[in-house]
Amino acid sequence: MISSDVIRGYNDTLILYMLLEGESYGYEISKNIRQLTEEKYVMKETTLYSAFTRLEKNGYIQSFYLDENSLGKRRTYYRITPPGLDYYREKCEEWKVTQEVVNLFIREL
Amino acid sequence: METIMVYLENMFVGLPKTPEVEHLKQELLSGMEDKYLELKREGKSENEAIGIVISEFGNIEELTAELGIQPVSPEETVPVLTEEEIYAYTTAKRNAGFWIGLGVLLCASGVAFLIFMSALFENYAISAANRSVETGAILGLIGMFVLIAIAVSMFIYSGMKLERFNYLEKGFQLPYTLKMSIQHSRENFALTYRIAIITGVCLCILSPVFIFAASSINDNYASYGVSAFMVMAGVGVFLFVYYGNIQGAYTNLLEKYQLTVEKKQEVKVVRAVEAIVWPLATAIFLFTGFVYQRWDINWAIFPITGILSGSFSNVYHIMKSKNPS
Repeated sequence: MISSDVIRGYNDTLILYMLLEGESYGYEISKNIRQLTEEKYVMKETTLYSAFTRLEKNGYIQSFYLDENSLGKRRTYYRITPPGLDYYREKCEEWKVTQEVVNLFIREL
Repeated sequence: METIMVYLENMFVGLPKTPEVEHLKQELLSGMEDKYLELKREGKSENEAIGIVISEFGNIEELTAELGIQPVSPEETVPVLTEEEIYAYTTAKRNAGFWIGLGVLLCASGVAFLIFMSALFENYAISAANRSVETGAILGLIGMFVLIAIAVSMFIYSGMKLERFNYLEKGFQLPYTLKMSIQHSRENFALTYRIAIITGVCLCILSPVFIFAASSINDNYASYGVSAFMVMAGVGVFLFVYYGNIQGAYTNLLEKYQLTVEKKQEVKVVRAVEAIVWPLATAIFLFTGFVYQRWDINWAIFPITGILSGSFSNVYHIMKSKNPS
């Protein structure tokens, strides 16, 4: 499993990526991240909801309620906003550069 | 699932109870519930599912930092009650209810005894009539004061017993499981409580029947009727006080003491007013009694004070909710 310290700066990117395809809710997002990374990264509950709070405060995502029929539960769904999309692109660029830089210092021993 | 709720509840104990925090707690619970249900569907055992959900919860400081929430300072945090404390409190309330109820019954019986003795000696004063009547009154008075003295000791005793639970008024937290179990006890008690209150009301309503019945037999017997009336009404009041105290313990634990700040302010004001009004009413009662000898009518001061003080607290509540300052 991956160290959460390393990935911290990219939690927002991961969540935004999950919302690119359409709206979703907390558990679904964390489940998809787990599956996509083949269980190499499991996002903790508090990390996930901190990110939601932060992203919403910055206007990158929007929350809304949707009634779930199977459980009769009222769920909070999230969707990405246009500023969120810009932010995502920015983070992708940043990561490419970061990767390039760090790669310069990586070698097999 | 209950373990998860308790876990989450404990994680939030030190945090202020703002709507924002409550909302967040609900969100987390919903996410954890989804995860738990899915793990169960995948064939995980109860314990495994709970273990995984809790291990993947993370760190509450991460959230509070993000929200800019300061954990509540130690003097603002309220104690979390244990099962023993709750048991001790409900037992103490039940006992206090018993002793206070019995005390009220004794007071009523004391007055009944006085009336009964006076009437008895008046009706059967064969020789030295005046003397006998006086003896009856004196015996009655002695009996009444003895009973009232016992009753007052009971009031003081139960008041002292309950004193050690005064800290509950400052607020507390109930663990989720305990809250559920108290709610369950209250539901179980509801029928008993209803029956007790209805019986009490019936006794009080029916008690004057004794007066009419006794006086219809013989005018001289009317006083015996009054005695029986007082005892029967006393039994009714005993039921109110005893069962009311048990019900009150549940209400206090589940609703009343978990007050908001404004509500606490309201309770303070209402209490302050009551602390002035009731002794004042007692003073007026004694004054009009001893100075003007109007014992026949001055008891009405108590029901009137009761109604006024009740209306004051309602009016204050309405005013407060109209202009929240």
